[in-house]
Amino acid sequence: MAVTDSTLFQKNKDEMSPGLQGKKQDFPWWMVVIGIVIMATFLLIQFNPDFNDAFMVIKAGLSITITTTLIAYTIALVIGLLVGLGRVSESKFWRNVATIYVEIVRGVPLLVLIFFIALVLIPATTNLISSLGGFFIKIGLDSMGAKLVTVNNRAVSMNTRAIISLAITYGAFLAEVFRAGIQSINKGQMEAARSQGMSHWQAMRHVILPQAVRNVFPALGNDLISMLKDSSLVSILAVRDITQIARLYTGHSFKFAEAYTILCVLYLTLTLLLSLLLKLVERKISNDRK
Amino acid sequence: MIENKQPMIEIKNLSKNFGAVEAVNGVSLKVFPKQVLVIIGPSGSGKSTLLRAMNWLECPTEGEVIVDGVSLSENQQCINAIRSNIGMVFQNFNLYGHLTVIENITLALRIVKKMKKGPAEKIAMQQLIKVGIADKAKNYPAQLSGGQQQRVAIARALAMEPKVMLFDEPTSALDPEMIKEVLDVMLLLVKDGMTMVIVTHEMGFAKAAADEVIFMDMGKIVERAAPDVFFNNPACDRTKQFLSQILSH
Ligand SMILES: Nc1ncnc2c1ncn2[C@@H]1O[C@H](COP(=O)(O)OP(=O)(O)O)[C@@H](O)[C@H]1O
Ligand SMILES: [Mg+2]
Repeated sequence: MAVTDSTLFQKNKDEMSPGLQGKKQDFPWWMVVIGIVIMATFLLIQFNPDFNDAFMVIKAGLSITITTTLIAYTIALVIGLLVGLGRVSESKFWRNVATIYVEIVRGVPLLVLIFFIALVLIPATTNLISSLGGFFIKIGLDSMGAKLVTVNNRAVSMNTRAIISLAITYGAFLAEVFRAGIQSINKGQMEAARSQGMSHWQAMRHVILPQAVRNVFPALGNDLISMLKDSSLVSILAVRDITQIARLYTGHSFKFAEAYTILCVLYLTLTLLLSLLLKLVERKISNDRK
Repeated sequence: MIENKQPMIEIKNLSKNFGAVEAVNGVSLKVFPKQVLVIIGPSGSGKSTLLRAMNWLECPTEGEVIVDGVSLSENQQCINAIRSNIGMVFQNFNLYGHLTVIENITLALRIVKKMKKGPAEKIAMQQLIKVGIADKAKNYPAQLSGGQQQRVAIARALAMEPKVMLFDEPTSALDPEMIKEVLDVMLLLVKDGMTMVIVTHEMGFAKAAADEVIFMDMGKIVERAAPDVFFNNPACDRTKQFLSQILSH
């Protein structure tokens, strides 16, 4: 089945995701050019000592960049699915809760949200937990209380805070993707399932969601690519991803050209590989239907 | 003749408003076991709304729906169990697009009736043979013609062993050459003694299959009669007018 109008799902800032655009029959010249740029950079890394030095330092951040993205995206998928279901829920209460969350997140710049979640929301939450522990001790639940009291700010590493921040932010974006996906499914599907005696949730789970997810798979993939790029923002929390390491490196070496060229090419390589992978999966999904 | 039996479907003084629109307005009727009731009427006259109230896809503003002795409004907590006994066939087929033909039929058997895969597939194949498309079991709905899809939809409903079948203009979305294959399957059900409520514009089928024909206009039942009386000698002018419009093309 044709993918639903993709403009519906795209966040405008991400219209040019590589690999997911362009007509199929066009020869991918853009890919050749980008491939040459990437190749050239890696040749520089091989043969130019300055580039080589910068690369050896920066590549240590790759695992943080990749794991932060993957873990945060997985959590965001779960949040997004639940909130997306909330957005189309029959209950007014859950619809409103979901909408409030989505609108708040969409109305605040990502950078500001990361500051707020990591430096305000999470400390507030840990404080709440530890004062809850104090309360437990007061009312005699010592063992449980003792554990909770020790929870403090520092117990949550900056890496974890970065992941939580990205997950909460992208949870709202993905919720909108899931909502659009669910709403793209003809009302008759739900009615047919309900008329056979399925509950609302059974129908959602077995009839609506499988089709909705197929329809929005490209949009979900776009958001994974966006998140990989936005993970660079967590460098402001001093998380040692490739961006942060590149910044630190230029701070004492002053090799800006080398460090930031390599940084660009690393992100470009990652997003390009990811979008090729997503395209393969997408093709496989649509072939399964034929 | 069968009036002393308990009706399979009883509608009492049913009304349904959509905002200011009175889609159905004070309709009462009974459908007895093995009876075939055909509902006709102009577009927007409330036929679908009435039919969909029979399995509570549309919850009425007023009035009562009783299926096989069970009042739907008083038994909301078991609405799913009640619905599983009422088959419904839609104008647009509404087959599950991500599932093959056989999976379309087994899905509700498995998750509503909790059947195992094997027995469910056996039932599905029997129904597919009955509607004449067993060879398409592994195909996806999008690979079938409209007529074939509607026959699968009928098989899907039949597999649940419903006590009554509801049809909402089952042939209206079909190309003319496919209408007959669907009506033939429906006639097969009539012969089997299935209780059915059918909204349709196929007058030939209504004549052949119906025990009673109801004509609706503006949310009300204007006329009800046995098919021979209804088509040859209708009492109301509005019915005559509608029939002449529909039979003239
Ligand atoms: N979900 C709905 N929301 C608002 N109005 C509706 C809805 N469903 C039906 N109606 C209105 O109710 C009236 C009866 O519709 P319907 O039962 O579909 O008629 P029919 O099936 O005879 O064409 C129409 O005026 C239609 O516009
Ligand atoms: Mg209708």
